[in-house]
Amino acid sequence: MSVPATAPAAVLPRRRGAAAGPSLLSALARSVLLLALVSVVVFTATELLPGDAAELRASPGADEEQLRLLREDLGLDAPAWQRYADWLRALLIGDPGTSMVNGRPVADALAQRLPATLGLVAGALLVSLPLALALAWWAGNARGGRGGPTSVLTGGAALPTVVVASGLAAVLSGGLGLVPPVSLLPPGSAPWQTPELLVLPVLSLALPTALFGGGLLAGAVADTVRLPHVADSRRRGNAPWRVALVDVLPFLLAPFTRVAAVTAGGLVAAATVVETLFSYPGVGSLLVSSIASRDLPVVQATALAAAAVVLAGLLVGDLVAALTEPRRRQAP
Amino acid sequence: MTRVLVPLLLAAVLATALLGGAWAPHSPTSPVGTPWQGPGPGHLLGTDALGRDVWSRVLAGGGRLLAVSVLAAVCASVTGTAAGLLAGWFGGLPSRTLTAGADLLLALPSLLLALVAAIALPWHAAVVVATVCGGAPLTLRVVRDAVRASRSSGYVEAALLRGETAASVLVREVLPAMRGLVAADLGLRLVVALQIASALSVLGLGAAPPAPDWALMLRENMTGVALNPWAVAAPAVALGATTVLLALLAQLFFHEGRTRRSRSRRPARKETTGV
Repeated sequence: MSVPATAPAAVLPRRRGAAAGPSLLSALARSVLLLALVSVVVFTATELLPGDAAELRASPGADEEQLRLLREDLGLDAPAWQRYADWLRALLIGDPGTSMVNGRPVADALAQRLPATLGLVAGALLVSLPLALALAWWAGNARGGRGGPTSVLTGGAALPTVVVASGLAAVLSGGLGLVPPVSLLPPGSAPWQTPELLVLPVLSLALPTALFGGGLLAGAVADTVRLPHVADSRRRGNAPWRVALVDVLPFLLAPFTRVAAVTAGGLVAAATVVETLFSYPGVGSLLVSSIASRDLPVVQATALAAAAVVLAGLLVGDLVAALTEPRRRQAP
Repeated sequence: MTRVLVPLLLAAVLATALLGGAWAPHSPTSPVGTPWQGPGPGHLLGTDALGRDVWSRVLAGGGRLLAVSVLAAVCASVTGTAAGLLAGWFGGLPSRTLTAGADLLLALPSLLLALVAAIALPWHAAVVVATVCGGAPLTLRVVRDAVRASRSSGYVEAALLRGETAASVLVREVLPAMRGLVAADLGLRLVVALQIASALSVLGLGAAPPAPDWALMLRENMTGVALNPWAVAAPAVALGATTVLLALLAQLFFHEGRTRRSRSRRPARKETTGV
């Protein structure tokens, strides 16, 4: 996980105004604006690189004249804004071009690897979200300042993904020999057909995320358990699990959704590290390898796809939070 | 007890990381024995895939990572603090504009920003850019709220009545009063910077292979984790301890700042409402 341990203010629910409608519209506008910004930044970043596609494609020893003709051929002599517009138009009709390294269509490579990454992220969310709730319950009830639980969550969320991943690999694979140390999927198979290969990548993503999410939610839990109706329910002698599920959980839905959306975005980013470390063939490792080999069409499309997934997650989070929030407002 | 232990441990780890290269018993970059030797005499933590001394590489492997991260964290902290001072002091349109921009940046994971930046920029520049984009918005929020609260405090009003300018009040009165807060926030930016720097390093976009680097060592030695587990455990512990201790120290600072402030400000509380 990135972005650790700090930003409850940024993530947890802002007190919204009366209607949910305008805030949803602005959330949608924010997503579209950000995606447009990302596309400009990605395009500019690839523009800044020395050399261009013509130099990469030209036969060795090509002279300036041949390069000029090749550039004309590839449309590289057009001004930058025009090439950006062409690229965007092609993307919108679903044609992100072909790889400069192996000549394969980028869309094929993405479509082939996307299921693996989505499976990985979904698995990590399934593990981390319940765990985050449990940790938040633990820390939120034990609060009263810098208790041990809060320190565990803060410290744990600060661990870089790679430390967690290699620690897990050393214990589960090196020490106990339970799972294979690399997660190379057999070609053409879906990730859930070989669950033992998913253990290390999923846990490496899920554990830091759970600690991070738990830290963010602990404050919300601490606030909720101090509400009068919770103390009331406890005094009536209700079992702790009943208090947690019936009296506290409904109040956590909105903050939980936002935390889930933010952590899902972080998971997509952290997947680049985990996939590369365990040789897992997903979109994250595709992005990293294409950056290393300067395969610009693949870099552009993959980075934009990752950003789109992150922003879609945030948008869904906003939507669900807006739907669950009115209940929260009626409460004292 | 943690108030003494955490800073001491952190100081030890940081000193080792920054100066450790000079104490390394062997060359951190050239082979000194057979590959994947276990711990033994002469080689405290054994050897790695190429037969290099793991202990020497751990001692030398944190300096660059830390130097880049400190640079990035300071840049993020300075940017965020400056923006937070402006937003908190002036409020209104400047505050709304700055906060909206910060919210936009916060929506994207900083590692993703780092990867995009790494397309065109060298490793250290990519770490700085991503830490500033992902960290300054958080600093802005923290500082803005603190400045907003201190606007109506006695020492600021007194300085304004003395006829001091806004700039001088901000730099000479407001900023010193929240140095603890800014320091704690800097610690957290440093944690994020280390996470980004180590991630890029693991992905092969950072230090070039023969160089010792904690994150790179983790990836290089993963294949031999069964032969010499220390080759993975040692850099993992070094990197993990640095980030965890930093985060704990920052938490300590935040906590003390908060209790001190709420204790001193409680009587004048209802005045601090500016929107």
